[in-house]
Amino acid sequence: MLGNRKYIIFFLIYKNLQLKYKHSALGFLWSLLHPFLYLLIFLTIFSHAFPSIQNYPLYVLSGLVFWIYFSGGTSALCLVFIKNAFLIKSFNIPKTFYPLTELGGELISFLLGLIPFMVIMYFMGLHITLNLLYLIPVILLFSIFIFSVGLILGSLNVFFRDVGILWNTINPAMFYLSPIAYPANMVPERFKFIVQYNPLYHFLKIIRNVFYDGTAPSLHYMVNCFVITTVTALIAFLIYRKIRNGFISNL
Amino acid sequence: MESVIKLHNVSVSYLQSRKGIHSIKDFILKASFIAPFQKHRVLHHIDLDIKKGDSVGILGPNGSGKSTLLRTIAGIIHPEEGTLQTHVRISPLLALGAGIELELSGYENMRIALALSGNYSKATRTEMMEKVSDFAELTNEQLRMPTKMYSTGMLARLSFSSVMTANPELLMIDEVLAVGDRGFQKKCMNRIHEIIENGATLLFVSHSPGEVEEICKRGICLKDGKKIFDGTSTKAAVVYNKLFD
Repeated sequence: MLGNRKYIIFFLIYKNLQLKYKHSALGFLWSLLHPFLYLLIFLTIFSHAFPSIQNYPLYVLSGLVFWIYFSGGTSALCLVFIKNAFLIKSFNIPKTFYPLTELGGELISFLLGLIPFMVIMYFMGLHITLNLLYLIPVILLFSIFIFSVGLILGSLNVFFRDVGILWNTINPAMFYLSPIAYPANMVPERFKFIVQYNPLYHFLKIIRNVFYDGTAPSLHYMVNCFVITTVTALIAFLIYRKIRNGFISNL
Repeated sequence: MESVIKLHNVSVSYLQSRKGIHSIKDFILKASFIAPFQKHRVLHHIDLDIKKGDSVGILGPNGSGKSTLLRTIAGIIHPEEGTLQTHVRISPLLALGAGIELELSGYENMRIALALSGNYSKATRTEMMEKVSDFAELTNEQLRMPTKMYSTGMLARLSFSSVMTANPELLMIDEVLAVGDRGFQKKCMNRIHEIIENGATLLFVSHSPGEVEEICKRGICLKDGKKIFDGTSTKAAVVYNKLFD
């Protein structure tokens, strides 16, 4: 059975990717269009708004691609159990496979999308150094974080169907609450806590260390991200374990 | 004969949202902060011993726990109490629309069903795909269409054929035969007999006592989550019919 499981995981990822781009003529290109459109908007409208940021295009783009991975990943995971209701009801495979393979598909799209954007970033002044290898732990940590948030949302969404609606409302709000298109130090002192308690702020720090500064991620923020991820994963695990047995009757 | 499935004192409960709370809005309005979920028991203390090669029909009114029993045996639901032992390769449960992804084509669904039912070599898979399409009597053109365009009968043909060709050790069927046309039903019956003759074990949920008598030697009757009868299929059919008198 275990050898078979690897095969099942592979197959579910394949199915997700197939479903995602099935009925679109442009297929994979759509996933590039989204960040590209936003990039154009920010470049035309805000390029002179933040003179404190050097190389604004690179600043925006580095935040944007990771934001889209986060927002797309969590939204997909939010629906994952509902979408796979029939499979969950008929196959005896661990239910965690569904969010895992869903995120696997998102991760593949994200990584594939990263290639053309890194070319664009290169022309924007991205430093091609060995420091880019730090992307591997950063992306890994970020993926675990997205998985944990998604697992919480997805599990609760089985019982309370408006969790998905709620998340679709919060999601764009989080975009503006995160320093993606603006510098964090622009936020007035008394509202700083909003930014600092936002987990994405810490991830954006280490992402920009690598992409924007061309250095290694700062240890301080790396530790913060690690703690955030561990705590979120723990909460996700506890919630999931508590309610997973109720999935079948509520799907 | 050796037991392949053994249930001892198995009880299954579902977690249900209390008072019909299905959204956070309800949750706040109805202010049931104490316990949003409550347990609802679906199967009560079931004892069951199924031997290798048994063909068991499961009868019972709607909501009596038949599907839950199959899902428990398949390992999809975990018992709250009691023990469950299975000594058989569990194949996917065959229920209406089970495992079918409506956006994907018939071929793609077939590939997924085969992938989920066992680890076969590429050559075997190609061979099995052919067998499945033969059995399902679906044309190449139909199999290329997204399954959302299928009729209920075609969907049943597809899922039924995918499971049936895999030579299961344990075949679990949950009311899928009813939707196929007469010809396909006959074909399925023949195939089921063939699978049983090859030594497989069958669990068959149906609302038709006649079908159960025809296919199964043994019959079980469930009511309100309790096993009220376990014996020959003929007697089980009588017990079942009496429930509605």
